[in-house]
Amino acid sequence: MSKSQKFGPPLNPRGQRLRAQDLESITHVRAKVPAKYAWAAGTAMSRFLEELKNGKIIGRKCAHCDRVLVPPRMFCERCFKPTTEWVYLPGTAVVETFSISYIDTNANRIQEPILVGTVAFDGAPPHCGIMHYFGEVKPEELKIGMPVEPVWKPQEERVGSVLDIKYFRPRKK
Amino acid sequence: MIERIEKATDIRHWLGDMEADHYYYSTGLAGEKFFTALRDDGKILGAHCAQCDLTYVPPRIYCEHCFSELTEYTDVGKRGCVVAFTVAHYNKAGQRLEPPEIFALMSFGPRTTPLLHRLGEIEPEKICVGLEVEAVLKPKKDREGKITDILYFRPTK
Repeated sequence: MSKSQKFGPPLNPRGQRLRAQDLESITHVRAKVPAKYAWAAGTAMSRFLEELKNGKIIGRKCAHCDRVLVPPRMFCERCFKPTTEWVYLPGTAVVETFSISYIDTNANRIQEPILVGTVAFDGAPPHCGIMHYFGEVKPEELKIGMPVEPVWKPQEERVGSVLDIKYFRPRKK
Repeated sequence: MIERIEKATDIRHWLGDMEADHYYYSTGLAGEKFFTALRDDGKILGAHCAQCDLTYVPPRIYCEHCFSELTEYTDVGKRGCVVAFTVAHYNKAGQRLEPPEIFALMSFGPRTTPLLHRLGEIEPEKICVGLEVEAVLKPKKDREGKITDILYFRPTK
């Protein structure tokens, strides 16, 4: 069944479909739109990224609900109150969710899957954490609730990015 | 409580350019008629709504008041009168403009929507609402089907 049989005639009969070669022959305007941006990580996230350089995970504690927020925020979104204290965490975590992806970031099909997911850090409440890669684990062995630990880049290669952690691997018992 | 950060670049930040540099705007069905008439015949077209007795300049394909389809294109002429104007002494970057640029809305007759364009060949202090003006077009060989094919409007002699 053709598209027009399936969906009926086009809604706007006065409209005209343009092909690439039409674009120069019709009246038009070409312009450059300056769209520069500066995206700041904010106070809490900046500290978090700096601490990654030192191989440390840092969170912010809310005195009101007693939660440690990782990644840190200067404001508790539950209590609507400023967070009060910086807290270092051991860095170990558990798998919250994961995905086995046979498509890379450019949407190409790949043979060896990329393992991604979210981890919740020990010392912070469950169900909040960061997204990251998993490594040194077979796809079929990856499980929700699995204890994992970060594998850091060598100190001299760290730049204060979340990729200073190479991936999370299963913790040895 | 929380120290105040005034510049985004004082803390960890990322600078970039959004990919918005290849902007293409096609003028549409009514725009095509307007700009080709301007380029080829040096005419300013409007679209007339018989039901509302209103002429849109530049033309639209639908009446904004009664939503009826507009198919009647009329040559509104090159003479109009100033409905509103503003004198700009600074450009978009905040630099002083010498001489200032004058922008105005021009109406081409009763029950006609006004067109926004520049005024020229006039001192800013001599402009008034109701001033009769005429379009000054580029020579035909330089016209490319853009609104800048009209250089500016000047007072009629």
